[in-house]
Amino acid sequence: MNVVVCVKQIPDPSVPGQLEADHTLDRSAKPILDESDSFGVEMALQLVDAAGGGEVTLISLAPNGEVSGLRTALAMGAAKAVLASDDAFAGTDALGTAKVLAKCIERVGDADLVLAATESSDGYTGTVPVQVAELLGWPALTFAKKVDIADGVVTIQRQTEAGYDVVQSSLPAVVSVTAGVVEPRYPSFKGIMAAKSKPVDNVTAADLGLDGQVGWAGARQSIVKVEQAPARLAGEKFEDDGTAAEKIVAFLEDLKVI
Amino acid sequence: MFEWSDEHQMIRTAVREFVDKEVRPHREALEHGDMPPYELLRKLYSSFGMDQMAASSFDRRIAKEEAGETGRPTADADGEGDAGGGGMTLLPIIELCKCSPGMVTAMGVSVGLTSAAIMNKGTIAQKKRWARDLLTLDKIGAWAITEPNSGSDAFGSMQAVARIDGDEFVLNGSKTFITNGPFADTIVFICKLDEGNPPAERRVVQFVLDKGMTGLEQSKPLRKMGMHSSPTGMLFLDDVRVGTDRLLGESLDAYAAKAGREASKATFTIERTGVAAMALGIIERCLELSVPYAKSRIQFGQPIGNYQLIQLKLAKMEVARLNVEGLVFRTLEMAAAGKGMGLAQASASKLYAAQAAMEVALEAVQIFGGNGYMAEYEVEQLARDAKVLQIYAGTDEIQITHIARALLA
Ligand SMILES: Cc1cc2nc3c(=O)[nH]c(=O)nc-3n(C[C@H](O)[C@H](O)[C@H](O)COP(=O)(O)OP(=O)(O)OC[C@H]3O[C@@H](n4cnc5c(N)ncnc54)[C@H](O)[C@@H]3O)c2cc1C
Ligand SMILES: Cc1cc2nc3c(=O)[nH]c(=O)nc-3n(C[C@H](O)[C@H](O)[C@H](O)COP(=O)(O)OP(=O)(O)OC[C@H]3O[C@@H](n4cnc5c(N)ncnc54)[C@H](O)[C@@H]3O)c2cc1C
Repeated sequence: MNVVVCVKQIPDPSVPGQLEADHTLDRSAKPILDESDSFGVEMALQLVDAAGGGEVTLISLAPNGEVSGLRTALAMGAAKAVLASDDAFAGTDALGTAKVLAKCIERVGDADLVLAATESSDGYTGTVPVQVAELLGWPALTFAKKVDIADGVVTIQRQTEAGYDVVQSSLPAVVSVTAGVVEPRYPSFKGIMAAKSKPVDNVTAADLGLDGQVGWAGARQSIVKVEQAPARLAGEKFEDDGTAAEKIVAFLEDLKVI
Repeated sequence: MFEWSDEHQMIRTAVREFVDKEVRPHREALEHGDMPPYELLRKLYSSFGMDQMAASSFDRRIAKEEAGETGRPTADADGEGDAGGGGMTLLPIIELCKCSPGMVTAMGVSVGLTSAAIMNKGTIAQKKRWARDLLTLDKIGAWAITEPNSGSDAFGSMQAVARIDGDEFVLNGSKTFITNGPFADTIVFICKLDEGNPPAERRVVQFVLDKGMTGLEQSKPLRKMGMHSSPTGMLFLDDVRVGTDRLLGESLDAYAAKAGREASKATFTIERTGVAAMALGIIERCLELSVPYAKSRIQFGQPIGNYQLIQLKLAKMEVARLNVEGLVFRTLEMAAAGKGMGLAQASASKLYAAQAAMEVALEAVQIFGGNGYMAEYEVEQLARDAKVLQIYAGTDEIQITHIARALLA
């Protein structure tokens, strides 16, 4: 059983972010593995382990040939990675990202299952996994809080507001997993030492046959303007003169929450 | 080496996350309650595969010894073993010290000191019997040399004694301030061999004891100034009978007149190099806490960091950090080159690092003012913990005598 995991390498959220003049995130600092994707990596490692064979391959679209986030996932136990990095990818939107990832999956070749997070921590459009599935012509199962594979069938528990739905499909398929689907392991020291020597296949837009379809040229979205989030309003203060309860009820009714 | 390598940084990030997630939530119980550190340490070992690494490195070393070869085992192909270098040992020490330095003492005495004593002096059978489980933290070890009447003058005033009785030894004496003493499964007991000769001429010998042996009593943890996450206790031996299988080396021939002392001195060197890493963790944490505090605490209408008296404290902390980090890097470089620090150099490094950590931690308390004196702000704990670095593993004064003796020899 071979599992491909989409892993996004994102700017470290503990460092204050900066925007470029074109409104995209400054990604010049060393990125980290998106924590959302550590769940997919762990899930994949466990599924491969349970299947008793196969391997986990990572795919990532990232600027500047960045591998530091990939290394973390390789240290956790993934066998190899495909890294799409090329100046031609600059400006790629979510659909473009999905095109790149779908081509990477085809390049890997023998995937039974593709895992991604439901949404990334920096972009969080939450659209890439289904787009990848559509481009590959594979079923997409989303919001999985539990994933099981048996006899060529993937069964997930799809998180809903009220509980969960059980959803099944044949393989290959794309599954997006929620945080908490499994507890990600710490990379072992041995894994960390070995990560540097694991193969990373560096690919360009041309390698993937995507020249002209990605980057600013191919993007259907553009970021027109970036504004500060509005400051929180000061709120209203009541001195309790015995009518506070009524005022609170009126306030909540106004908000239509009661 | 002037900075941590990429791999080292990954190790540091991972361990830092572990400490924040798994250790820090227990800080209260570890530092102010009765929680022993061992389960958390085992979790650290299993989370990062340190237990498996230790086991396979041990097995390779023993295989080599059984084949009659000497020297440390080389790393295997996938970079296991010693390839990550001392960084794999020192980074967890540094990161743990940012939360609970006592945990490092408990860990270091078990996997460092106690197992090292057995690995240095024991027979292959003894190493297999005791050292492997210590190195993986499956068993907890204690190393007992200090006695109520013998501390700095460890060998001279030592009263614990082994008498030969047929083909057995009878052990008597008390040990105090023994790290892990209350909980240890495996104890290296250092004493003098009474062959009817005057105490000053007696050979220093080492035995391995197991918890629960007849005549061995392990006290409850002693109340201390700091290092609460490292249980410290007393050991009482009342006619504990052991066979030669528990004498390290399994033969008295292994203990020529001064040899026992030399073996213990080798252990002192290991102990002292670990202290620099502990000091670095404490200093880094003090800076991490003090710098933002100096920027955000407003008095007389300004952040206190604007005052030169506070700036001087911060600047001196940074100087200490750079110097101690340099000592840690030196240790790593020397180990990578297959060289060990001699006793005098290890003493110099330990002396400087311990004093620097103490000074930095007290200044951190000062920067925090009244808050600094309150347990909630952490720095008071670091200050109490740092003090012991000037006392155990040889007091400052003893380090000075070792340095001076080497200079004047
Ligand atoms: C106009 C525009 C310009 C942009 N310019 C740049 C740029 O110059 N440089 C840049 O780095 N980004 C750029 N981005 C952002 C980048 O294109 C996003 O990665 C992409 O839009 C995916 O969106 P998301 O993060 O919201 O994905 P989501 O749909 O929220 O992600 C869900 C999951 O899909 C997977 N996934 C998503 N993205 C990747 C990826 N890149 N690699 C591997 N797996 C992934 C992960 O598992 C992720 O958790 C730009 C976006 C726009 C709209
Ligand atoms: C938390 C903790 C954990 C410990 N863990 C262990 C352990 O696991 N195993 C173990 O065997 N021991 C352990 N010890 C004991 C420790 O090694 C001794 O406390 C230390 O060596 C000092 O000995 P002492 O306490 O008897 O002090 P003393 O030797 O009585 O010293 C008292 C003072 O006199 C000074 N002094 C002594 N001799 C000289 C001299 N020649 N010149 C100048 N000044 C001198 C000392 O520096 C000190 O300031 C531990 C101690 C502590 C506090």
